[in-house]
Amino acid sequence: MELAQDYYTILGVAPDAPAEDLRSAYRIAARRFHPDVNNAPGAALIFRDINKAYELLSDRQRRREYDSQLNAQVDQASNLEISVQYSRLHLQPLDEPQLVYALARIQPMLERTLTADAPLNLCLVIDKSTSMKGSRMQHLKAASHRIIDECRDRDILSVVVFSDNAEVLVPAQHPDDPRRLKAMVSTIQPGGATAILQGLRAALAQVERHRDARYVNHIVLVTDGRTYGDEEDCLRLASEAHERGVGISGMGIGEDWNDHFLDTLASKTGGSSTYIVSPEMVSRFLRERVRSLATAYAERGQILVVPAAEVELNSVMRISPDPMEMSITPQPIPMGMIDGIVPTTLMLQFHVSTNGADIGEFFLGRVDLGAEVLGSASGAERTVRDLMISVSKEVHEEEPPTELLDALSKLILYRLQDRAREDISNGRVVEGTHRLENLATRLIENGQEDLAQAALQEAQNALKTSTLSEEGAKRLKYGTRALLPFAGDSDD
Amino acid sequence: MIECSNCHHAMLEGALFCDECGLSLWDDAQTHISTRKLEDESSEFSVKSGWGTATFQERNRVIIHIRDAAEPTTIIPDAEFVIGRRDANSGAVPDLDLTSFGALEKGVSRLHAALRRGEEVLSIIDLDSANGTFLNGQRLASHVPRLLRDGDEIRLGRLVLHVYFK
Repeated sequence: MELAQDYYTILGVAPDAPAEDLRSAYRIAARRFHPDVNNAPGAALIFRDINKAYELLSDRQRRREYDSQLNAQVDQASNLEISVQYSRLHLQPLDEPQLVYALARIQPMLERTLTADAPLNLCLVIDKSTSMKGSRMQHLKAASHRIIDECRDRDILSVVVFSDNAEVLVPAQHPDDPRRLKAMVSTIQPGGATAILQGLRAALAQVERHRDARYVNHIVLVTDGRTYGDEEDCLRLASEAHERGVGISGMGIGEDWNDHFLDTLASKTGGSSTYIVSPEMVSRFLRERVRSLATAYAERGQILVVPAAEVELNSVMRISPDPMEMSITPQPIPMGMIDGIVPTTLMLQFHVSTNGADIGEFFLGRVDLGAEVLGSASGAERTVRDLMISVSKEVHEEEPPTELLDALSKLILYRLQDRAREDISNGRVVEGTHRLENLATRLIENGQEDLAQAALQEAQNALKTSTLSEEGAKRLKYGTRALLPFAGDSDD
Repeated sequence: MIECSNCHHAMLEGALFCDECGLSLWDDAQTHISTRKLEDESSEFSVKSGWGTATFQERNRVIIHIRDAAEPTTIIPDAEFVIGRRDANSGAVPDLDLTSFGALEKGVSRLHAALRRGEEVLSIIDLDSANGTFLNGQRLASHVPRLLRDGDEIRLGRLVLHVYFK
């Protein structure tokens, strides 16, 4: 179901705009996203909606009917709000490309009292391969027991374990008898290899049994190893899960799991991934993850970020709640759960060409967010936001917004480790080592002594062995990424 | 292009950090401006509350950046602070007159919208304006107050303002 207000925001006009304004707004919007002009991923989707909106609104009879619907709903208009900060509001007309950052913040509009009470339909998927033996499994069992204890009557829980094959240890159910469920978890005997696809398939089947728009439907995968040969299938399964409204979060214990794979898997559903350095931390991270699911405001979020024809979108990084590099193709980008308490903030990076642009307003691109509100009758919500700055011949001394600068100062750390790792894995050891040393300097400036030490250690490793240690690489990646959320935004 | 003063890496105009060595180009730019300015900036950093906050205290002021205006406007709103366009004929006198910012051409009503102080919050109310009041791209229903947050974008007709709490 689509919200009534959509059509006016899609065209970028006021609901009382006269017919001639509609026409000119349609022309402007259509020109921006026409497939002949704009071949950015997602542009065709927006173009289609613009046409749909104009077709309806330009028909007087249909518009009248539509307006009466709109008036009836005005107070329930889209509750998700997008506010945007720009690194600069004024561009100068230059012959060369320019860099613009936009920090988009998504949160429910009303200051409603959200009390972490969205019901969960949760499946824990536990890797019981041989390497999990010992303290990893002990701590994981204890953590699962805590999760079972903390489940509320309305929640639904299932537990799947896997090694070479998957087994449904606890079929999806309300936790009426926690002692029995805990006893089942206690029986897990580690042994075998890691076949993640098997585990995910079984988990999705369990979540499917009670899948409902009122629930936060989610799979939490805990693993310590690499899955072989079925990674592509896992990613396809994750995309399928997202389409059905099921999120996936990944947690990797120790050094041997494939962080790139687990990040990609989670990002297919807009979920998150976590690095668990030592087994004692399993309980904390797992419980935090599950608790954060209950503060969901909406599920099945997805976002289109479509730049203007003369603009290029370089990257989208989720800064909070769970920092994550988002893949910008295909669009829309899966966002998964939209938290009701911690605002979702995205850092968008654009390359802008002002060649041939007029002085005055400059259209950077459009952000179009859709999500399904939990427990709401209206269901789907949609918010459209056009990113507008301006081109001006005068030189403006602009102070970039504090929060944007703060986020960028952290993001550069993440990018440095990313590029250092890329350098070293491509044999550019000297460049990579140099970058790690730079990273260490910036980390010290940011008061991150421990991470700085880790970066220097890895720089030495790289000089000796021409590689990074698995542990060090993960520590730097997840360590710098964890710095991204704004201080004060995190609820832990 | 701009050049990093540390590693001489060339970057696009508008870059705020060197993507080669991570140096903040913004801090760097600051040191070339007068010291007094630097102090101003740092004190502003420290008192500025978080972006997106809805908390608006007694001592707070509102900084309004009007798009394409050279200087921001600072206001201290009373209980109710009307924004619009002064008009001698109808005798309309808003508390903030936007005439000099092209209000007439941009469709700003005489009494367009009002800021209202609540307990530690600031709201915006559309006063049944002809071309509407938009908060972060969404049109407000007339006379229904909506909470303002630090950093919000307000559009009155086609005139765009950004509000910051200070």
